[in-house]
Amino acid sequence: MGPEGAAGGWLRRGWRRARRRPASVAGALVVLGFVTLALGAPWIARTDPLQTDWSRIRKAPSWAHPLGTDDLGRDGLARVVWGTRISMQAGVFSILFAMAVGVPVGLSAGYYRGALDQVVMRLTDAWLAFPFLVLAIGLVTILGPSLVNATLAIGLGATPTFIRLTRGLVLAAQEEDYVQAARALGGGDLRLMARHILPNIASALLVQATVSIPTAIIGEAVLSFLGLGVQPPAPSWGTMLNAAQQFLESAPWMAWWPGLAIFSLTLAFNLAGDGLRDALDPRDY
Amino acid sequence: MLDYLLQRGLLSVVTLAVISLVVFTGVRLIPGDPARVLAGTDADEAGLDEIREKYGLNDPIPVQYLRWVGLALRGDLGESIRTREPVARTVAMKLPITLELACLSLLVALALALPAGVFAALRRNTVWDVLANGVSLCGLSVPNFWLGIMLILLLSVRLGWLPASGFVPLLEDPLGNLRRMLMPAFVLGTGLAAVLMRQTRNSMLEVLSADYIRTAYSKGLRQRAVVLRHAIRNGLIPVVTVLGLQMGALMSGAVVTEQIFVVPGFGRLIVEAVFTRDYPLVQGVVLITASAYVLVNFLVDLSYSLLNPRIRIRGTARGA
Repeated sequence: MGPEGAAGGWLRRGWRRARRRPASVAGALVVLGFVTLALGAPWIARTDPLQTDWSRIRKAPSWAHPLGTDDLGRDGLARVVWGTRISMQAGVFSILFAMAVGVPVGLSAGYYRGALDQVVMRLTDAWLAFPFLVLAIGLVTILGPSLVNATLAIGLGATPTFIRLTRGLVLAAQEEDYVQAARALGGGDLRLMARHILPNIASALLVQATVSIPTAIIGEAVLSFLGLGVQPPAPSWGTMLNAAQQFLESAPWMAWWPGLAIFSLTLAFNLAGDGLRDALDPRDY
Repeated sequence: MLDYLLQRGLLSVVTLAVISLVVFTGVRLIPGDPARVLAGTDADEAGLDEIREKYGLNDPIPVQYLRWVGLALRGDLGESIRTREPVARTVAMKLPITLELACLSLLVALALALPAGVFAALRRNTVWDVLANGVSLCGLSVPNFWLGIMLILLLSVRLGWLPASGFVPLLEDPLGNLRRMLMPAFVLGTGLAAVLMRQTRNSMLEVLSADYIRTAYSKGLRQRAVVLRHAIRNGLIPVVTVLGLQMGALMSGAVVTEQIFVVPGFGRLIVEAVFTRDYPLVQGVVLITASAYVLVNFLVDLSYSLLNPRIRIRGTARGA
């Protein structure tokens, strides 16, 4: 079978499995919807999310402001839509960072084993001992609060998971015949890792990335909520919830929408991730 | 067994050494004079000299590190810049509050997760199973700080059933304490419950398909007896491991939960320390948290070996 045929077969198999899990397909569609919101924020939210208006402070949802206004009279819808961009940025870039560091380190540790592997494993043990938020707080203390630093802190928190996962996958893949065969044919270390091992462990890494992104999104919201991430007046869901806390009695809608947005996006990612895991599971033919 | 314990103990010590190195380096990465960082901006020359002498800040870095570790091992984690209280004493005052919150949330998590997980496994692929999985997925996806805000909105603002925030010491007013801890414990417990429920369901499914369970049924035992006497004991072993790994998440959750419900615990302390740039306090809290995580996981390893005789026997055989 040619590569096109193989790809077609893979797609068909994926689709067959996806149809068995409508919830996962719905999750993927919701994620896609949020991606559209994030990319199309300037066109979807026509109001400036930073523009304050003292004449419409804490107005309940209405036709003019479907999600109400906040304590500074800013439009809730515009802020939730722009907040999608910040959450997506933090969620995706932090996990990309974790993969960019974790995959090569895990690949080298698993491939070369020996002392390098021991050192890497002890370092990840220590790394994992820092609860995510405590690690993030420590880093933000050193670097200062901002979206970039929060993304970096979340990425660093997720890195040991990718190191350990990649290492485990490499250890298993190395025993496979195709790796032994490539080695017997005289393939160099780099070629073996990049051309033979990496493509075969990529699906498991992709699944891990999908289930790590919602955790990262919540991480950014938590840091911003605590005042350690995105700084006001930028429209992050976490900072919006922080502000909403003071007006629970007079303007509860300020707390509904950003929280609902975080919940929907993380639930959608989790559902899609579950489906992806099943779709890519080689045991399920 | 002894071999296994020694191996795990040694690994924990190495991990603790790396943690201490990371924390020590972290404070040195803060821009500016380390003496100024540790003494605060208000400190005078005499205060700075005292810090320099105590930590040997003019010595080579490795000597400074060893001196700092020596002091930390004796319980001297420095002084809070803000209150001038020893960090160890401040932490010792706040820790019981967070431990109470953690224990209560653990109870909530176990009370929700174990029956739901076992039930879902017993009723596999039924509506109950789907429902339990759905609830667990929602529990995993809901940000606990939002759940906390929504509960305050419903139970305190709308219904007025529970106080929204504040803290009363347990020994002073047990009932008042429990009323104020109920919401934070529930909020912190739900996330953990979701993870534990999934794990319980999966490991129970594995155990329920084992030969010895079939044998128990074929002996004529009722489902209740099979589950309670045979399946749960083995099914819960992986749950204990997951519980240990979730301690970090519980600590992270406590930081946020204490912030929302104004519980004056360890988590609130660390956030306050960051905002007041109280570096010795941040350093002490980070070191203690990470060390506690290593210790808890060492204890989990121990309990795992006690729960699973195969590890014990293998360890003894190797040791003999």
